Amino acid sequence: MSESSIITNLIGILTTASTLFMVAAGLTLVFGALRLINIAHGSFYMYGAYLATTLAARLGGAGFWVSLVICPLVVAAMGVLVEVLVLRRLYRREHLTQLLATFALLLIFADIALRLWGKSVRSIKAPSALNGHFQFGGAAVPVYDLFVIGVAALVAIGLWALMSRSKLGWRVRAVVDDPEVLAASGTNVPLILTGVFALGAMLAGLSGVVIAPEQAVQPGMDAEIIVAAFIVAVIGGLGSIVGAAIGSLIIGVVETLGAVWTPSWASTFIYALMILVLAIRPWGLFGETER
Amino acid sequence: MSSGKSPVPTASSQEEARVPTGAGAAARSSSLARSVATPVALTVLMVALGFAVGGNTLTTLEEVLALVVFATATNLLLGQAGLVSFGQAVFYGIGAYTVGLGWLHWHLSFWLTFFLAPVVSALVAIPVGLVALRARRLYFALSTLAFSELAYQLAESRYDFTQGANGVFGPFVPSVLTDPIKGYLFLLAVTVVSLLLMWKVTRSPFGLVTRAIRENRGRAQALGVNVYRHQLIVFVVSGFFCGLAGAMFVVYSQSAYPELLDWTSSGTPIFMAVIGGMGTFLGPALGAFIYQFGHDELVRYVSDWQLVLGGVLLLIVMFWPDGVLGSLTKVKWSQWRNSLNKGGSDE
Amino acid sequence: MSEKALLVATGLVRAFGGFRAVDEVDLTVTEGTIHSVIGPNGAGKTTLFRLLTGILRPTSGTLEFDGAQIGGKPPDMVARLGLAQAFQTTNIFPRMSVLESVRAALVSRHHRTRDMFSWFHTRLTGEAMDMIDRVGLTEFADEESQTLSHGDQRALEVALALAVQPRLLLLDEPTAGMSPFESQRMVSLVRALSRDMGLTVILSEHDMDTVFGISDEVTVMHQGKVIADGPAAEVRANDEVMSIYLGSEA
Repeated sequence: MSESSIITNLIGILTTASTLFMVAAGLTLVFGALRLINIAHGSFYMYGAYLATTLAARLGGAGFWVSLVICPLVVAAMGVLVEVLVLRRLYRREHLTQLLATFALLLIFADIALRLWGKSVRSIKAPSALNGHFQFGGAAVPVYDLFVIGVAALVAIGLWALMSRSKLGWRVRAVVDDPEVLAASGTNVPLILTGVFALGAMLAGLSGVVIAPEQAVQPGMDAEIIVAAFIVAVIGGLGSIVGAAIGSLIIGVVETLGAVWTPSWASTFIYALMILVLAIRPWGLFGETER
Repeated sequence: MSSGKSPVPTASSQEEARVPTGAGAAARSSSLARSVATPVALTVLMVALGFAVGGNTLTTLEEVLALVVFATATNLLLGQAGLVSFGQAVFYGIGAYTVGLGWLHWHLSFWLTFFLAPVVSALVAIPVGLVALRARRLYFALSTLAFSELAYQLAESRYDFTQGANGVFGPFVPSVLTDPIKGYLFLLAVTVVSLLLMWKVTRSPFGLVTRAIRENRGRAQALGVNVYRHQLIVFVVSGFFCGLAGAMFVVYSQSAYPELLDWTSSGTPIFMAVIGGMGTFLGPALGAFIYQFGHDELVRYVSDWQLVLGGVLLLIVMFWPDGVLGSLTKVKWSQWRNSLNKGGSDE
Repeated sequence: MSEKALLVATGLVRAFGGFRAVDEVDLTVTEGTIHSVIGPNGAGKTTLFRLLTGILRPTSGTLEFDGAQIGGKPPDMVARLGLAQAFQTTNIFPRMSVLESVRAALVSRHHRTRDMFSWFHTRLTGEAMDMIDRVGLTEFADEESQTLSHGDQRALEVALALAVQPRLLLLDEPTAGMSPFESQRMVSLVRALSRDMGLTVILSEHDMDTVFGISDEVTVMHQGKVIADGPAAEVRANDEVMSIYLGSEA
C-alpha cells in the first residue's frame, strides 16, 4: 500500500470512528448513569442533522456554524422533555419496559420527522472555510474530515475532563453506585439524571450536524446509526466511554478497510466482529464483568 | 422420598390433607374441561368466520394467522423465558425465504419447503442462540438486534442467491391454496396445531422451569438447572415456530423479501405480545388481531401510522403493562380465588 | 453419628485484587452434624459460602465434597452433586406461587427439566406439599411468593433448598431480620432437619444463643482467617477467641 493510500485510509478510519464515537459515547454515558438503553438515541442524531439542513436553508452561508451551536441545544431540550415526561416513570421498571418505551419513541420521532421534512434526501453544504483539501504525504486529505476528527477529539477530552476532574463528574458516578447517599448529601439526583440524558442527546445531535455535509440526510438514518452504536456498545462495553472510543475505532477500521478490500462483504464484517467479541468476552472489552 | 404420591384424594384422610385445595380434584377436572372447550370453541368460531367474510377480509385473516403464530412463538421467549429478542424476524424471514428460494433454485415442492422452513429456522437458531445467549440481558437484546441487521444485509446483498432487494416472487404456492377459503382453512389448521404444541410446551415441566429461570436466574441455577442450555432450547423452539410463521406468510403474500428480516420487523410481534398481554398464552394472538385490523382501519383515515403505533405502544407500556388479556385475566383470577377461598391452579 | 468428613476445604483463598476475603481457610464438616461458622461482619463468611456453592471461583486451595473436587465448578453442577444453599437476601421466584416454586425445584431434582410433553410436574404436588408442610407453609401453598412475610420467605428458601435433596445444606444467616418467634421456628426447623433427615447443615450466624444452642461444631472466622475450630462447647469455653470476637463486635 502506498503512503498516500495509507493516509487516506487512516483519515477515513478516524472520520468514521469520530461520528460513531460521539453517538456511542452519548449512549454509553446514559447507560452508565441511568442504567437505560435508549433505542431512540439515533433519533437525536437524525434530528440534529435535519435541523441543520433547515437552518442552513434559512440562513444561507453562516447556517452551518449557527447549526453547530443551536441544533445540539435544541436536541438537548428534546432530551429533557423525553426524560421528564417518559423515562422518569420507568426507572424502577424492568429493562424490557424501558426498551419498549424507547422503541415506541423511535417510531414516534421517525414519523414526526417524516411529517416535518418529508421523504426526500436533504443536504447541507460545508462552509467554505472547511472546503478543499490539505496535501499531506502525497494524499489529498479533505479539510472537513480533519474538522470532524477535531470535534470528536474535543468531545472526548471534554468528557474525560467532565467525568474525572469535575465535581459534576464525581456526582454522576456516585449516582450509579450510591444514589441514596448522594441524595442525602443534598444533591438533586433527578436533576443530574435529566442533565446526563440531555448531554447524551446533545452529543448525538452534534454528531448529526457534523455529519450532515458529508452524508445524505434522509429517513432511516436513525435506525442505521443506532445499530452501529449498539455494536460499538457491545464490543466496547456498556457504560465505558473508553470502550466507546476503542469500539468506534475498531468499527472504523473494519468498515473502512473492508470497503477497500472486499466491498461486497464489508457490511457484514462488523457483525462478525460483534459475534467474536461476544463469544470471548460477553460483557464487551471494557464492560463490567460478571463472575 | 417417593415420587408416586397422587394429587387426587384417596380414601386416607391424611392423604387428603396433603392436597392444598379445598376444591381439589373437582377444580382440576373442571379446569381441564375448560382447557379443552376453549380451543375447540375458538377453532369452530374461526372456521365459521372464514366462511362468513368476503375475499379481502379473508386474505387479511391469512396474514393475521401467520402473525398469531409469529407473536406466540416470540412470546415463548418474551413472556415465558423473560428474554427480549429483537431478532425473531430473522427466523420469520428464513422461513419465508426457504419456501421461496427452495422453489427458485431447486424447484422443490411447496409441501416440502413449507415443512422444511421451520426446521431450517431452528437449525439457524442454534448457532445464533449459542452466541447471543452468552450475553447478559441487555447485551442479549442488542446482539439479537445485530443478528437481525446481519440477516437483512445478507439478504439484500447476496443478489445471486436471494434476489437482493427485489425479493423472491413466483408461483411457488400451489393453486389449491391460492383460493382464499382453502388457503385460510389450511393456515387455520396449521395455526391450531402450532398453538396447541406451544401451549403444551409452556404447560410442562420444561415450561415451569423456564418461568423459574425468568423469575430468578441465579436461584434456578442453584437448584441444579443448566440455565444456558435451557434458554438455548427455548430459543430454538421459538425459532422453529417463527420459521413456520414465515412459511405461512408466504401462503398469503406469495413472496419473500429482505424487509421481513430487519429488526424493526422484530418489533411487530413484541408489540403484539405487549398489547395482548405477555403474561398470558393467548395474549399475543389477541394482539395480532388487534394490530392487524387496527392497522388496516387506521391506515384509511390516518397517514401517520407509525405515530399511532408508537403512541399506543408507549401508553400501554407506561400505564397498562399487562396488556388487554393480562388485565382481564388478572381481574378474573383474583375474583375466582376469593370466591373459592383457596382455588387450586395447575401451572 | 458417622465420623465421615463430608466437606473438606484446604488452604482456601479468595482474593479480590490485593484483598483476601478468605485467607487460607481449612474447614472440615462431619456428616450429619450442624456446623456453625461465626464471625463479625466482613470476616469472610459470605464469601466462603459463595466459594462453597460455586458462585465464586477460589483463587487457590482445594474444596472437596463427598470425595469430589468442586472448587471452581459452576453452581448448577454443585447443586446436582448435593450441596444446596438457602440464601440470606431473599432469593426466590417472586411471581410464582409457593407450590409452583417447589415443584420447579423438584422437576430439576428429578432431572426432568427438558421434558416438554408430559404432565409430570402436576404429579409432583404430593412431594412438593411434603416439603411445604415441613417448613410450615401449608396454608400459603398457592400464594404468590413475593406476597409472603419475610419469615415465611426464608422458610420457602429452606423448602427450595431441601427440594433438591441435598446432602449438605448451607444456611446464610437464617434468623437475620426475624422476630424472636420466627427465629425460634427457624431453629426448631433446622434441628428437625438434621435429626429427621440426617442432613448435614452449615450455618453462618450472628446470634450467639442460636449458635451455641444448636451446633455440634463451630468455626470462628476473623478477617478472612479461621481463628478457632472445634466442638461447640470447646469453642465457647475458649475465652481468648471469644474476647477477640466479641471485642471486634463492639
